[in-house]
Amino acid sequence: MPDGSEHMQPYLDQASEASSSLPGAGVGWIDALRRRGTDLYGMHGLPQRRHEYWRYTNLNALAGGSFRLAGDPPAIKLPALPHQTLADVLSYRVVLVNGRLRQDLSDLGTLPNGVEVGSLQALMAAAPERLEPYLGQVAKLDDMPMAALNTAFLSDGMAIFVDADVSLEKPVHLISVSARDDGDAMVQPRHLVVMGRGASSTLLETHISADGGACFNNVVSELHLAEGAKLNHSVFQHEAPTSVHLSGTAVALAAGSTYDSFVLQSGAEIGRSEIRAYLNGPGVDCRLDGIYLATGKQVVDNTTYVEHAAPECRSRQVYKGVLDGEARGVFQGKVHVVRDAQQTDGHQLSRALLLSPRAEIDARPELEIYADDVKCSHGATAGDLDEDSLFYLLSRGIHPHTARRMLIEAFLSEAIGEIPVQQVADDYLNHVQQWLSDHVEERSDGASQ
Amino acid sequence: MALLEIRNLHATVDGKQILNGLDLKIDTGEVHAIMGPNGSGKSTLSYVLTGRDGYELTDGDILFDGVSLLEMEPDERAREGVFLAFQYPVEIPGVTNMTFLRTAVNAVREHRGEMPFDPMDFVKYAREKATDLNVSDDMLRRPVNTGFSGGEKKRMEILQMAALEPRVAILDETDSGLDIDALKVVADGVNAMRSDERGMLVITHYQRLLDYIVPDHVHVLANGRIVKSGDKALALELEKKGYAEFLEQAA
Ligand SMILES: Nc1ncnc2c1ncn2[C@@H]1O[C@H](COP(=O)(O)OP(=O)(O)OP(=O)(O)O)[C@@H](O)[C@H]1O
Ligand SMILES: [Mg+2]
Repeated sequence: MPDGSEHMQPYLDQASEASSSLPGAGVGWIDALRRRGTDLYGMHGLPQRRHEYWRYTNLNALAGGSFRLAGDPPAIKLPALPHQTLADVLSYRVVLVNGRLRQDLSDLGTLPNGVEVGSLQALMAAAPERLEPYLGQVAKLDDMPMAALNTAFLSDGMAIFVDADVSLEKPVHLISVSARDDGDAMVQPRHLVVMGRGASSTLLETHISADGGACFNNVVSELHLAEGAKLNHSVFQHEAPTSVHLSGTAVALAAGSTYDSFVLQSGAEIGRSEIRAYLNGPGVDCRLDGIYLATGKQVVDNTTYVEHAAPECRSRQVYKGVLDGEARGVFQGKVHVVRDAQQTDGHQLSRALLLSPRAEIDARPELEIYADDVKCSHGATAGDLDEDSLFYLLSRGIHPHTARRMLIEAFLSEAIGEIPVQQVADDYLNHVQQWLSDHVEERSDGASQ
Repeated sequence: MALLEIRNLHATVDGKQILNGLDLKIDTGEVHAIMGPNGSGKSTLSYVLTGRDGYELTDGDILFDGVSLLEMEPDERAREGVFLAFQYPVEIPGVTNMTFLRTAVNAVREHRGEMPFDPMDFVKYAREKATDLNVSDDMLRRPVNTGFSGGEKKRMEILQMAALEPRVAILDETDSGLDIDALKVVADGVNAMRSDERGMLVITHYQRLLDYIVPDHVHVLANGRIVKSGDKALALELEKKGYAEFLEQAA
């Protein structure tokens, strides 16, 4: 039995109890996929330090099995989004409460021809064959234990299909709300995005909590981009400070496609974003950027794996974060270049600002290169604000707390500037400013006196 | 009472003694020039005056309007009216010049009991000052010094001085890196700031600058102290003879 096996059973029991009543039950491949999820999770157990991608984030908070699979979503209203501009972004809005689509809160307006946005549950019932080529195929479950657990519970989430050459002007905005059920709720949402040849769209995700209760939100997304497709993907995780938010995103990228991802994490006790991008055809452009803000005892983890499986692809990763209090950051990133992937251009960078002596970052950027004609680099920095910059601002009469604040904001806004949708960039910047006012200003003010 | 009085200043950097009993008095309305060989302590003096971390004063005092600066933090000194145009201005990506200038000017105005500018009024104020120094709107919108040429950075320093209206301005090699036209623009900017209420300390290696900004006094700094003072003729003399005489003296 693997380590951690004692922790896995409670969740597996819940999965097997639920299995016969889950949507799509009776469809052969769906039953088989769930069983595969159950078996694989059973083999791994709750990920431990020895698992390559879980070296620095420990899930003991989940160990007791105290989270219960959420039932029908509570009839809550849509909570206020962290910032109004996000709510105002003209979008097709999809609202999930505890992983279930709430039609009454969603607003899909009129979708153009060739675009489908709906619940995975409905599709599993109506046309499961459309899901078969993708579900459990993009994500490599044998290497993603928490995605395997999610698969054991496979039941609902959001599905988007954009047909070839269709470009969706307005973004799809997925608002995912965690709400306490009877007790601490476990939610296992599964999302699927399938982009046809030359299709393009923008997907925004906002993950929030309806109340202060603890939730365990284990999100898995599978994104499939055909030749020349383009997806802008901005994710904002701001769940309640008692929640555990784990997200695993797998992206299959065909020749000439573009994936542009930005992840802003500031919520949850443990917040983790793992992105695995498979660059399967030549000429793919893949950007994975993110920022994080953490304080108290928060753990925030960004783990990436970029597989250059074809020549002439480009990948860029920049993750920047601010850690205060006793917060701990994790950046684990691997760029894997196979032997035939010549002319690969791959870069990754992790930069962390440690605002308190007890804040910590584990950064492990990694290159694994088997091709000989490549341009790759990686780097990681961690530390306090730049002394020269700080003195320059002070020497102009700017108060120390303001100066520090300006430099922190500058550090983060550079990364936010890369977000292609202006309203989203503005909104994330607002959030950063608010977070800094709430968490940083007073303390550094005091420290400077 | 002198505007700025430096008394018997001794200072170390990283434990290394750099300033060895420097005395200097600057009165309002005066422009003093300091010349001296590389490494003699000119920039160190400018950092000690502005209170930079790591520059430790081991003896002496600095009086500004008769009040010691030693107990004041760098930002307090700046708000009191001490300004340094850096020899090497710092690049700050992510902060625009406009925001930087407005934050600084408003901090100083509030300290003086004046109303802070609202953003719209400040744009007008900054543009006015910028025009005189050939600083374009585009430069004002860009991040602080980021990607600016050496000469552009120096013009931005003078713009900051013009916007902040300090009582004593220290210009550390503001002429280096300037082309002939930019030198005139900068010198005009500095001369426009000469007033009965303000003193200036101009650090330079070149007599040329002093043709444009004519100093009342010229000092030679060598081995961490003022070894000779005179009027502008001293600068011409140094241009001919160099510093050999002073370095020998010290050796
Ligand atoms: N951090 C430091 N540690 C040790 N020595 C230092 C440090 N900073 C400056 N110094 C030394 O102090 C001396 C004076 O330096 P300073 O920069 O003040 O000279 P300067 O007169 O401005 O020279 P320049 O004309 O080249 O600008 C130099 O010898 C320099 O190497
Ligand atoms: Mg110098």
